[in-house]
Amino acid sequence: MATHADVHDHYHPPGLQHQFEDMGQQQESASIGMWMFLVQEIMFFGGLFTVYLVFRSKYPMAFAAGSNHLDVAWGAGNTVVLIVSSLTMALAVHYAQLGKRMAQVVCIILTMILGTMFLGVKSIEYAAKYNDGIVPVTGLNRRTAVSHEAGTYSLPSDPNMQRNQSLDAPASVEQNKGVSGEQHGAEKEHVYVNPTGSFIWEDISLAQLAEKGNFLTSAEKIGYYTNGQLDPHKFRDKVRIFYWIYFVMTGLHALHMIIGLGLMAWLLWKAWLGTFTADYYSPVEMSGLYWHFVDIVWIFLFPLLYLLGRHFAGGH
Amino acid sequence: MQNVDTINSGYIEKPTNYLTNGYTLKSWLLTKDHKRIAILYLIVISIFFLMGGLYAATIRLELLTPQSDMLETQTYNKVFTQHGILMIFFFLIPSIPAVLGNFFVPIMIGAKDLAFPRINLLSWYLYMIGGVLTLWALMQGGVDTGWTFYAPYSTTFSNSYVTAVGLGIFVNGFSSILTGLNLIVTTHTMRAPGMTWFRLPLFVWALYATSLVMILGTPVIAITILLLAVERLAQIGIFDPAIGGDPILFQHLFWFYSHPAVYIMVLPGMGVISELISNFSRKKIFGYEFIAFSSIAIAVFGFLVWGHHMFVSGQSIYAGLVFSFLTMVVAIPSAIKMFNWTATLYKGSILFDTPMLYALGFLGLFLIGGLTGLFLGSMGLDIHLTDTYFVVAHFHYVMVGGQVIAYLGGIHYWWSKMTGKMYSEFWGKISAMLVFVGFNLTFFPQFILGYQGMPRRYAAYPEEFQVLNIFSTAGASVLGVGLVMPVIYLTHSLIWGKDAPANPWLLPGLEWRIPSPPPTENFETTPIVTWEAYDFTEESGLDLESARNKNKVTV
Amino acid sequence: MQNTSWVPFFPEQASTFAWQVDGLYLYLILISVFFTVLIFAGLLVFGIKYREREKYATGAEIHGSIGLETFWSIIPFIISMTIFLGGAIVYYNQQRMPDDATEIFVVGKQWMWKIQHGTGQREINELHVPVGRKIKLTMTTEDVLHDFSIPAFRTKFDVVPGRYTTTWFEATKPGKYHLFCAEYCGLNHSGMGGYVYVMEQRDFDNWLSGNVSGQTPVEAGNDLFNNKLGCASCHQQNDQGRGPNLAGIFGKDVRLTGGQIVKADDEYIRNSILNPQGQIVEGYQPIMPTFKGQITEEQLVQLIAYIKSLGGNSIEGTTTRTTTTTNTNTSGGNNMNSNSGTGGSTIRVPLPERGAANNRQGSNPNAPDITSEPTNRQR
Repeated sequence: MATHADVHDHYHPPGLQHQFEDMGQQQESASIGMWMFLVQEIMFFGGLFTVYLVFRSKYPMAFAAGSNHLDVAWGAGNTVVLIVSSLTMALAVHYAQLGKRMAQVVCIILTMILGTMFLGVKSIEYAAKYNDGIVPVTGLNRRTAVSHEAGTYSLPSDPNMQRNQSLDAPASVEQNKGVSGEQHGAEKEHVYVNPTGSFIWEDISLAQLAEKGNFLTSAEKIGYYTNGQLDPHKFRDKVRIFYWIYFVMTGLHALHMIIGLGLMAWLLWKAWLGTFTADYYSPVEMSGLYWHFVDIVWIFLFPLLYLLGRHFAGGH
Repeated sequence: MQNVDTINSGYIEKPTNYLTNGYTLKSWLLTKDHKRIAILYLIVISIFFLMGGLYAATIRLELLTPQSDMLETQTYNKVFTQHGILMIFFFLIPSIPAVLGNFFVPIMIGAKDLAFPRINLLSWYLYMIGGVLTLWALMQGGVDTGWTFYAPYSTTFSNSYVTAVGLGIFVNGFSSILTGLNLIVTTHTMRAPGMTWFRLPLFVWALYATSLVMILGTPVIAITILLLAVERLAQIGIFDPAIGGDPILFQHLFWFYSHPAVYIMVLPGMGVISELISNFSRKKIFGYEFIAFSSIAIAVFGFLVWGHHMFVSGQSIYAGLVFSFLTMVVAIPSAIKMFNWTATLYKGSILFDTPMLYALGFLGLFLIGGLTGLFLGSMGLDIHLTDTYFVVAHFHYVMVGGQVIAYLGGIHYWWSKMTGKMYSEFWGKISAMLVFVGFNLTFFPQFILGYQGMPRRYAAYPEEFQVLNIFSTAGASVLGVGLVMPVIYLTHSLIWGKDAPANPWLLPGLEWRIPSPPPTENFETTPIVTWEAYDFTEESGLDLESARNKNKVTV
Repeated sequence: MQNTSWVPFFPEQASTFAWQVDGLYLYLILISVFFTVLIFAGLLVFGIKYREREKYATGAEIHGSIGLETFWSIIPFIISMTIFLGGAIVYYNQQRMPDDATEIFVVGKQWMWKIQHGTGQREINELHVPVGRKIKLTMTTEDVLHDFSIPAFRTKFDVVPGRYTTTWFEATKPGKYHLFCAEYCGLNHSGMGGYVYVMEQRDFDNWLSGNVSGQTPVEAGNDLFNNKLGCASCHQQNDQGRGPNLAGIFGKDVRLTGGQIVKADDEYIRNSILNPQGQIVEGYQPIMPTFKGQITEEQLVQLIAYIKSLGGNSIEGTTTRTTTTTNTNTSGGNNMNSNSGTGGSTIRVPLPERGAANNRQGSNPNAPDITSEPTNRQR
């Protein structure tokens, strides 16, 4: 309310909202509120982690196969980037508490650069998945017309392909014209034979290995076998579940990063204006909590998605 | 916003209150005043309630005859689904926290507003966006999965607007989370000096427990519905067994929220009832601490019993045993509340005004709802009863007999404070009794139908079930009249009702110590609380002695 | 016992579980009545005795009582534990499969029950069992969740796609009892059911060796079409079914997928029942299961006689349904299927969401024996 100053004539520090009595109360409210929000976030991601655990314990080999195909180097690099960004964020809070304007600004800018680096790496990884045809949503992978020279595609009788073809028929025809016309020559060493942009997975070596070693669980046998035979299509579907979980989890995490960067931009502007002082720094502190939370989520995502299952031989 | 005229002019006899503080649409739609936001909620929630009620009426009419003759089967399936979705997600869950909680929690603890007024407004907008999305989907063709959205029917087989409705519920869920967050923080940090935790009205305790459930549970349903939508759009196979998914996983995730959601609906109702029973007996509530902690216990144990919805779905027998045991345990706090409420009446001075009639109705109906919950929690019996009309009757006794009755009681109790007008006590009593009678006539026969074996969600049913269904439909029409009446006489009171005094019943709560309707910032000066909750003695500063004497003189 | 006009409070007790469940139920009713009377009496007595006698009078100063609180926490807890134990024992009895049970396989499918006896007999929407023998049901489904429920036996269990669930019972009383689908499964959920016939061993043996009835071929065919085989659930008279309307079709020309036109004669109908995938009527999906092996030659003749008897546009004796087309609430649904030759265009269920729509069709229910994971949907 604009008129609160008229109603209450006691002293109002800048940044104190009308519903609070003093800065301490406001600070405490913001802090509890942020923690409650983070609890909410934990439950949100918790649902996803549950789904991950259920399916990982159901199809460990498929998950290992999918996991092995992820690039650990990028993932590890990103982990370092995020941890460093948490440090710069913590420093930003520290300098805000001391009321040092320029130091804050620098730290916030550093945090933003590191956050952007993380997202950049993530998009490189996503692009690789797109090129490899392992985005689990049909139509979101690189499409190429079936070329006669490279007609070595090994899963022609895949019913999934047929279904997708009938679904996407008009779109894929259009798309194919453009892609095959422009890029056919340039794609010498990488031949993509995926006219519908569907999910492709041919590597069943891990499942074969497990079969030989006789350590497939009964749930896996149900999941991978057709009439007692290892079925590449069924194995592929389970790998697809892994990639789906991978994309949803990292995607939601990236969304949180983007929101975090938005927050940082706002903080940067405020800090530049010199809003935050030793008395009033709770926005920086709260944004810091949020940033650390997003960081911690990644600390869990990285081993679960990239590292678990890597001890199995094979893969890439 | 007060304009210069109102501040400077001397001829305004009434001080500005939150209703007269600006009349433009903008002053309402961009308000950060918790009271105005509560009124916005009240209006929209009432509309959703009436829509859900119309669906209910349609269901009861269709079930008048054994054949599906009034509606096509397909239409019937959509009607009961939409009844459930509107009532649960857009009425039962937000109603008491977002209307009564929003309005009265800050006042009852002596605060000027909620801790985060802007987030409060945001949550109303999220509720509106979710609601509009859902309504849009209903206009486009509706949804026919049942409110439970069980996979793989919802992910693969249903040809209806599952994704759009799911998105509506997803957005609405964040409205619920933000309301819960706001109420928790407000209760923690905004209490007036002297308002210790054990001086809080039990309504605040109940809403605190509710908010915990909202924050811990709602994100899980949000992510579940998100997964459902992605599964539906891209056919990944997380819930669809044809490519390795697990439909039972969906049920676990769904009930992990949706069972606690039952407590989101009924805990605030219990809070309202604690207020009513105590205040209308003019007496301290019996066992304050036990009622307060039983709310928290319900919120905590409520998270551990979801599996009792799945006794026949193929989960392991040992999981079933644990869930059944915990279900019995979670019944105890409710029983404690029930006994304490009854004991509160002992040696009271009981007023039978409309809100109290609702409160007594709640005690009767919630008792039956709770006891029949034990039937369903008992595994052997659940095999026979689950997915029959027994379940339908049980949860309507809890949801309507519990939550809706409590909500109506609360609306009547605080109406004078919220609007500054008195409603007709005569019509209030009539409608309270009609609701009670109509409700029992509607839903009691359904217990018998359920034990007979009539499955729920049937558009057509075997002929031998018709007699009881006719009773039920007849009761529904009485219930319908009882529920429409308040809309009429409450609206009537807004224009023609008498002006309400600040404290019509001479009650000790903080909300009764400020004018009706309250000023924008609630309290002129921050109150200092020196009395316990429901304290009718002189310590609370209430001068009942002189009121009695005055009354004797005038009589 | 035939109950058509009035409902007793209990359904018939026709299995060995019935008395257990009913006993538990009675125990709980007893408890409920006790507490209801207690609380209601409390409300009534206190309400009258302590009503407001003087305006603004206050009640007594009572804060509470630890003793009472403990008392009414512990007593309900003990009672609830007896309920828990009782329920657990009954549940355990139902969930622990006996070793000496006869196994019957049940496959749910939108919207019919397909049942296969160990001896090879197949039934649809009917289950014949002998009295006094333990029967174990092994169940699965081809599409969505269903729930096999027989109230008279107090037995019920979900049927889950992709896995087998089991339940068992022992019928104690010959008769005809309702069989329901209790888990919501879509459009015709309320029509997905039938009857369980409990027979004396002698009658059951008779039934196994082929039952004899005194019906005319048309009557018998009517019975087969509308009840026993459940043809009418898809071949509805109002063009809304998933299969073509068969009224008045006999002797007419039928246009098949691919443009071929054939005459609907005896041979055509016979082939359509035994080998449905061979001749798909234009505008319909190849979803009809084969009835080869489930239907005797004699029954084929009866069915053909019945279809011949269907003149005009209505089928006598089928479930009557209003034929108003409900497309008012569906803008933008694409009408995938056109009519099948009986006049009037068929308005189909709208398909607002693409992925789901595609998968909904095309189940191939030829084989009721399900592989470990249902692979029957084209993907």
